[in-house]
Amino acid sequence: MNANSMRLTLALLAVSLLAGCATQPDAEQSLEAARDSFQKVKEDTDALRYAPRDVIRAGDSLSRADRLSTYWGSDADVEHYAYLSQRYSAIATEHTKLSINQERQAKLQLEIERLQLNLREAKLVSVQQQGKWLEEQINLATTETDRGLVLTLGDVLFDPADSELKPAANRTLLKLTQFLQLNPRRVVRVEGYTDNRGSSEENLTLSKARAQAVADTMIDLGIDEKRIQVVGYGADFPVTENASNRGRAQNRRVEIVFSDDQGKLGSDR
Amino acid sequence: MIQRRILATSLVVMALVGCTKDPAPNEQMRLTEQAVEQAKAVGADEQIPEMVLAEQKLARAQKNMNEEDYKRARMFAEQAELDARLAEGRALTSKSEKQLADLNARIKRLHKQLGEMP
Repeated sequence: MNANSMRLTLALLAVSLLAGCATQPDAEQSLEAARDSFQKVKEDTDALRYAPRDVIRAGDSLSRADRLSTYWGSDADVEHYAYLSQRYSAIATEHTKLSINQERQAKLQLEIERLQLNLREAKLVSVQQQGKWLEEQINLATTETDRGLVLTLGDVLFDPADSELKPAANRTLLKLTQFLQLNPRRVVRVEGYTDNRGSSEENLTLSKARAQAVADTMIDLGIDEKRIQVVGYGADFPVTENASNRGRAQNRRVEIVFSDDQGKLGSDR
Repeated sequence: MIQRRILATSLVVMALVGCTKDPAPNEQMRLTEQAVEQAKAVGADEQIPEMVLAEQKLARAQKNMNEEDYKRARMFAEQAELDARLAEGRALTSKSEKQLADLNARIKRLHKQLGEMP
């Protein structure tokens, strides 16, 4: 190295030291990063609204770092304050997210309360509608007789010569049970009937067993057994001629006789 | 020659200035310890990188305090405080996000139930 180039190098060094190049690349980088972060939160209206103090502190630390960066030999301090500034910006962002979440939570909470209310009302309406619907159904299915209202469960709900109820009966009995739950003063008499084939003793037993099966199911579904009377009439009181299959099928039945809404049942046959 | 002497003198002066002792940052240490405790209290743990940093820097600050290197102690403590506050914020945000998800799930269930009403 000759004297000239040495002089040049020294001159360049001096210039670079004097020319505001006071900070090293590391410090300059963290300063740049802090500026970026601050710029973002500064322009974020949510951050200004929810975390103004953190944004202000981010700005204060940043200007401190900026100021220090013009002094020679203050790299550590520049990096330090740039770091603090970045942290304040990040904290501002985090606090903003938290506040927004909390506001949303409050809104959702209200929404939940509204929906719960709707659901309760809908359930209430549905119980009332069901009650009304049931009453209509029962009225449709029942016939007003001198014994009161009578609901007939057809032969198809039992297997031939068997007293076991088929699952298809469940729906009807569930509705019946709901109806009785909505009309707590009503009581019922469950009456079993058969066609005229077989011995009258067998028919009496079968008719009683079928009526009992219906009553048992209702009891299982929650109706107090005191509200249910059970009778078997065998082949007595046919609703039609026993001459045809069709007629006999109609005569095989279980009838449910309803009391009036005061709990008064018509007398036995 | 004279210029060189001036330069040397100014260097010495600067070195001396740099050596003036910082006061012990007792208040900052207290603040930092408090911030770290608070972050832990809301459930910030080593899953959150900032929490790890906070604890490491607090430990460094405490070491520097014992060595009476107060300038460094203050810097580490200041950084640790903000690391802890950021960790606390992150812990709270992630909790609130879980709560939001729960609330949304409840709303979905309610809508479903309402949709199934006759």
